[in-house]
This record gives sequence, C-alpha cells and structure tokens, in this order.
Amino acid sequence: MTANTLVNSKLVCVALNDKAQLAALDATFNDAPYKKPPTQPVLYYKPRNTWSVDGAEVEWAKDFDGNDVAAMAVGASLGVVIGKETCRVSAEDALNYVGGYTIVSDFSLPEESYYRPDIKGKCLDTSAPVGPEIVAADQIANPGTLSVSISVNGEQKSVFELANMERSVAELISTISRIMTLQPGEIIAVGFAGDRVAVAKGDKIEASIEGVGTLNNTLGGA
Amino acid sequence: MRHARIVFDGRELDIDIDANDRITTSEGEVLDVALDSDQITWLPPVKAPGTIFALGINYADHATELAFEPPKEPLVFIKHANTLTGHKQVSYRPDGIEYQHYECELVAVIGKTGKNIKREDALDYVAGYTVCNDFAIRDYLENYYRPNLRVKSRDSLLPMGPWIVDTADIPNANALKLTTTVNGKLTQDGTTKDMIFDVPFVIEYLSKIMTLNPGDMICTGTPHGIVDCQPGDTIVCSIENVCSLETRMVSEQEYYGDKY
Repeated sequence: MTANTLVNSKLVCVALNDKAQLAALDATFNDAPYKKPPTQPVLYYKPRNTWSVDGAEVEWAKDFDGNDVAAMAVGASLGVVIGKETCRVSAEDALNYVGGYTIVSDFSLPEESYYRPDIKGKCLDTSAPVGPEIVAADQIANPGTLSVSISVNGEQKSVFELANMERSVAELISTISRIMTLQPGEIIAVGFAGDRVAVAKGDKIEASIEGVGTLNNTLGGA
Repeated sequence: MRHARIVFDGRELDIDIDANDRITTSEGEVLDVALDSDQITWLPPVKAPGTIFALGINYADHATELAFEPPKEPLVFIKHANTLTGHKQVSYRPDGIEYQHYECELVAVIGKTGKNIKREDALDYVAGYTVCNDFAIRDYLENYYRPNLRVKSRDSLLPMGPWIVDTADIPNANALKLTTTVNGKLTQDGTTKDMIFDVPFVIEYLSKIMTLNPGDMICTGTPHGIVDCQPGDTIVCSIENVCSLETRMVSEQEYYGDKY
C-alpha cells in the first residue's frame, strides 16, 4: 500500500457495467458456470496492497513459478469518493453523499472468467492507482455524462461513455449502501469499458476524464 | 497469552488475558472484572483491521454438503471491516430471505509484512488465532465472483473474537475441535484437521500473489453442519483452545433502527 493513497479503507469496483459488454456476453450467461445473467451489480474489491497513486510504477506481475506473467490489461473508471457515512440511501438521494470524484485505473491479469473472485488477477500489489486528485463533487454537475479514455504511450486505445453504463452512479451507490455502510473516503469505481486494454512492460498509461484529470502510470518490468 | 479489545467503564482498552483469566490493560492496569461479566463490551479483536481473506468450501465434508467438488486451489474471497463485530454483539438477518447460516471458522491474524512467504516460514507471520462466524445468505448467491459481495460483505455478518491467542500457544492449529450451538443445541461438530488448505499453505499461496500486512486476517472455512438462523437465535461458535464466540441474531429493522 502506498502511504499517500487517496483511498480510505475500501475500494469497491463494478464489473460488467458496460452495456455493450453485457450484450456481447449475453449468450454465455445462460451457460455454465453462470447459468443465469446477473441480476445485481457484479462487484469486486481492490484491497489495500493494490492502492497506488498518480505517477507511480505498476509492478509487472509474476506467476506462481516466479516468472513474469505473459499478459496484463488495464481498465479505467470514474472513482466516486464517498463524502459522508452512506447507509441505505435511495438512488434519488445518493449523489448527496458523494464528496468528490477521481480516477481509478485497474491493472490486472486479463479478465477470463467472472465466476470466482479473481484474487490472482485483481489483487496484485500496486495495481490500483487512484488520482491524480479528488475533485469536489460540486464541480461535476452530472457524472453520467462523463467519458473515460485510456491512452498507451500517447495513443488512445479506449473511450468509455458513462452514459453506456448499465447502472448509473446513483443507482450503484444506493445498491451498495444496502449491502455495506460506506464511510467517508471510500471509493467506488463505477464502471470500466468491457474491452480492457492490453499493456506491455514499460508502457506509459494515461487514464483521463475531462474535468477530473489525468492519471499517469508506467508499467514496470522493462 | 490472549489479547482483546474491550470497552469497560466507558474506556476503550487493549487488554492482555493471562492463563488465570487476569486482565491487564496495555497501560499495565489490572482490571478487577471477570471475563464473563456483562460490564465488558467486546470489540472485534484486531485493532487496525486490514484485508480480510476468507476461504470457501475449505472442508471436504462441507464441499459435499454444498454439492461441490473439493477445490484444487483455495477459493478465496475478500471482506472488509464493515462486516466485523465483536463477541456477544448482534448480527442481522435481512428481510424476506429463506436461508442464512453461520460458518464457524478458525482465523489466522497476520502480524508481519511479507511477500513470497514459504510454507515452512508461514507461522512466523501469524500473530495469533481467533474465531469468526462468517455468515452467509444463500438466497443472494449469484455465479458472478461467487460468493458475491451481496452474500459476504454485509454489515455485522462477521462476528470475531472474543480474543486472539498467541500462535505459540496453539502448537497444532489443525487438531482443534470446532463446534457450533444454536440456542444451546449442538448443530456443528467438526475438527480443523479436516481443513483442505491449512494456514501455512494459504499464506504461501496468497503471498505469491500479493503482500500480506499486519492486521490482515485469513478466515479458513467451515466444516459440515450448517443450519438456518432466525432473529432471536443465539449462536455460539467455538474452537478448542482458541475461544468461543457468541452472537445474537436480530432482524434487519432492529439492527438498522432509524436507518431502516
């Protein structure tokens, strides 16, 4: 864990929140092991050992034999920073509990299955840079109109319009706050483009949201 | 030695408990109170909780009970401090569900930072052991990152404690009787010897993926013998030589009060 992380106590990420990705996977959701499409937001944690900051190097992961893994990927999301204790709030009230916004990059092994918690893929040290700063909530009139882009070595690789999220920021805060009481400084990464971006050792990654900033990180291992 | 956190006489205290059940605070003050006194409010025993790792289907007989093949590698999921509560506290049953069960589990508390820890060195990284009750709500299971957060990340559904026993005082963590009672009736009767992946294995496994830090916890799964629990039930999860953890179930409305 980086000492100056912007995250307090918890970073919750939402998978499968890109409508296009859901449509593309729809045919597989009725097969094993899923058997049924998801009825609820698909959530995972990036635990504290993953938290990092703008400008930091992201470690290239090792496999269980201690060798460098063959492939890694990155997704980027709007990070919703909780401003005050949030317990069982309605979607109508949810945005009143937001203290600010930031950017979360989620470096991981390529997403292959959503069946079991992806500890091996998602819990890598330094794999969740958050930043560059927290922009006050009142600076962002409607988070649902933002767009998240990822560039690798200066070339744009991905653009995700948050209007294409299956569930909105407000809906997610409400649903999650009925599972767990959220505390100030906890962050929800509300949605990633379904197509994660492949990265290589030494790549420079920029995740940007207009009005929120640009989060810069470099892959290690080069 | 045992270590706990309590509220006593309006003060939040870190305490040590010796073999004669004598309580000494971290300031060296001896408290004149019995361990079973109602004057003690038990807090979750880990002072600065980090990442909580929990294992699913880590007992062969429980895997059969749930109609699963025993796993070839640990099934690990993550929980956070919002789920924690202490001994003799309450956990809630959500409205409108059919099946919520306890899971009595041995917990290893990490005491030292480490990465790529070898199995034979793993216990050097364990500060001690405690007991948790990793409640699950089967109605909410979905096959996405299963067991999903809606099942396993709810407020109050990970009672833990009452205390941590030093690692050195438990020479073999895989030879301990593990039992649960509901309203005094024995419903789970197992032993930690039937664990599939033991604590040293799991520490080696996790630390190949990530750095473990002091305050992280590993909840090692539960054996056969799970039953539905209702508001009003008192559940006691016990592991021999470690501790007994008592929890009272309440309704969702009683738990959340004004926020319901």
